[in-house]
Amino acid sequence: MNEKLLDVQNLTMKFGGLIAIDNLTFSAKKDHITSIIGPNGAGKTTVFNCLTGFYKATAGSMYLNKDNNKMDLKKFSDFKVAQKAGVARTFQNIRLFPQMSVLENMMVAQHNKLMTASGFSILGLINSKSYLQKEKEAMEISKYWLDIIGLTNRADDNAGDLPYGDQRKLEIVRAMCIEPHLLCLDEPAAGLNAKESAELNKLLKFIKNDKKTGILLIEHDMSVVMGISDHVVVLNYGKKIFEGTASETKNSPEVIEAYLGTED
Amino acid sequence: MGKDFIQKSLKDSLLTGIIALALFGPIVGLRTVAKNEVLVVEPKWFIVLLIVALCAVGRFFINIYSYKKEQRRGEASSLGKIIANFLDEKGAQIAIAAIAFSIIFPFMPFADRYWMDIAIMMLTYIMLGWGLNIVIGLAGLLDLGYVAFYAVGAYSYALFAIHFGWSFWVCLPIAGLFAGMFGILLGFPVLRLRGDYLAIVTLAFGEMIRILLLNWYELTKGPDGLTGIPRPSFFGLPFKRYPDEGVETFHTFFGLEYDPMQRIIFLYYLILVLALITNAFTIKIRRLPVGRAWEALREDEIACKSLGVNPRNTKLTAFAIGAMFGGFAGSFFATRQAFISPESFTFIESAIIVAIVVLGGMGSQTGVVLSTIFLIGLIEVFRDFESYRMVAFGGAMVLIMIFRPRGILAKRKPTITMGK
Repeated sequence: MNEKLLDVQNLTMKFGGLIAIDNLTFSAKKDHITSIIGPNGAGKTTVFNCLTGFYKATAGSMYLNKDNNKMDLKKFSDFKVAQKAGVARTFQNIRLFPQMSVLENMMVAQHNKLMTASGFSILGLINSKSYLQKEKEAMEISKYWLDIIGLTNRADDNAGDLPYGDQRKLEIVRAMCIEPHLLCLDEPAAGLNAKESAELNKLLKFIKNDKKTGILLIEHDMSVVMGISDHVVVLNYGKKIFEGTASETKNSPEVIEAYLGTED
Repeated sequence: MGKDFIQKSLKDSLLTGIIALALFGPIVGLRTVAKNEVLVVEPKWFIVLLIVALCAVGRFFINIYSYKKEQRRGEASSLGKIIANFLDEKGAQIAIAAIAFSIIFPFMPFADRYWMDIAIMMLTYIMLGWGLNIVIGLAGLLDLGYVAFYAVGAYSYALFAIHFGWSFWVCLPIAGLFAGMFGILLGFPVLRLRGDYLAIVTLAFGEMIRILLLNWYELTKGPDGLTGIPRPSFFGLPFKRYPDEGVETFHTFFGLEYDPMQRIIFLYYLILVLALITNAFTIKIRRLPVGRAWEALREDEIACKSLGVNPRNTKLTAFAIGAMFGGFAGSFFATRQAFISPESFTFIESAIIVAIVVLGGMGSQTGVVLSTIFLIGLIEVFRDFESYRMVAFGGAMVLIMIFRPRGILAKRKPTITMGK
């Protein structure tokens, strides 16, 4: 059974007179990679910002199916989307904590669980065993993910000192540390070379298949989109112009028109 | 220095000389003088030659100087770096040595009243610096009104001690609590502000508290200040030469001669312990989730939100805890002075504390100590020069900013390591 993980109905976002998203309806399934593509300014990142609580949508509904528990994403503001609903995201321009070590980045992502374990710092201040145990577990989780992206030996270096490709991967596994149900990736392949893109594909497939986490992907790099997407949603001027599998999308006249323009 | 370089500099000097000759030759060299009521041109070749030579030689030395400076820039070790590296490597040993020194300090032969007063003042600033380091250094919230919490601590201590007669050890936590509450009070309206805007609002907050203290005459006695704040006692034993009837004093209890220094030494140890508690607390909390969240918030607030970190609670705890330590320091100040007035809590105090934190290297605990010794020490050394004190203070800041632009100790240690 593979029901809808994310259900977006008639989502509209207006900035004054500008309609950034116009009546958008789409859904994403669990164990699927759903790509949102479209020309620059089509409103892709705005969709993400609405989903993750950075913007308050003007109209429409967004529901997340979390363990058969229908959650209204509109009810959560900014950080609560990650904390309560389990929607994680990455950013178009990488947002790590550059002056903090790689491991610290991973630990901050596990903040809420560690905060509870530290008894809001009181148990932590007296070095309680239960907190130290939880801290150790959090380090194990960090190490598990760092092993996957091959950064364990750089765990104590500043995140800002990593090469660009590693920073991208770190941001993705950092988001995975909050144990999300839905992972929203905003152009994860931007600025990566062919080899790094291939590694990224592998990582995303691993997250989808082994971690059973739904992925929502904004991407311009078609080799990534076509290689791993199970489902593609095409936006143009805030409207959905096409929805289908990767190969259907490739051959759709509407999509070709949106990207390349019409013949006279 | 390469031969090429000398040749190039010589050419450069020659060119300078030619330009100087062209300029100064007509201007300085030719002079019209009235001789027998006729104007004659009188050449002054010697002066021209002197000026031209000065320009050429000067140019040569400027070249050499800038060449050498260029070379020095390439070298890895400047004095500041050597010191910083040394402190980094031997950090633990130096800390232990410094603590040991501060424990035996009152019994040093040179530690007279003057030195003890300076030491107490420095320790107060160190404690304030450590408190503010939580807000500025860790959480990255530029707070220019920190002195407000110092004032709230001092006044709440003084009022509780005067009106209720409670002892220092009861009033101290209350003062800290009050200051912490004021920290939250300031925190709420500035949650959305950042950088410059935050600095302006906190600055205004500091002034508001001072003006409130100045005008709320019924409670604070306004500009007259609060007098007769009880002196601290050694766990119930007062430091008095002539105690009240039936009260045992510190010197009679321990069978010592009365000496006013006993009280000073006690105050010294009191602030030393308070400061060390502040330091230990900060070092510990930095390694806890809340401490890491503070630093993450300083780095990138949006990323924090995307990871489910609550920015409101995180900022408020930073403000509250930082303010609490300011309040503790304030109550110490009140009991030491026995008199407080709004005069003691002006903006310049906030500025000095911010300078201590920033010049020490944001977030560095040892840096705070070094910059306090440097800045406050300098002000003291220049005490006899009166109006030059602030010039020296400003000069010291400029020097640190030139040689250590990110503070004396800028290197940050991770709060947790993988441990190979």
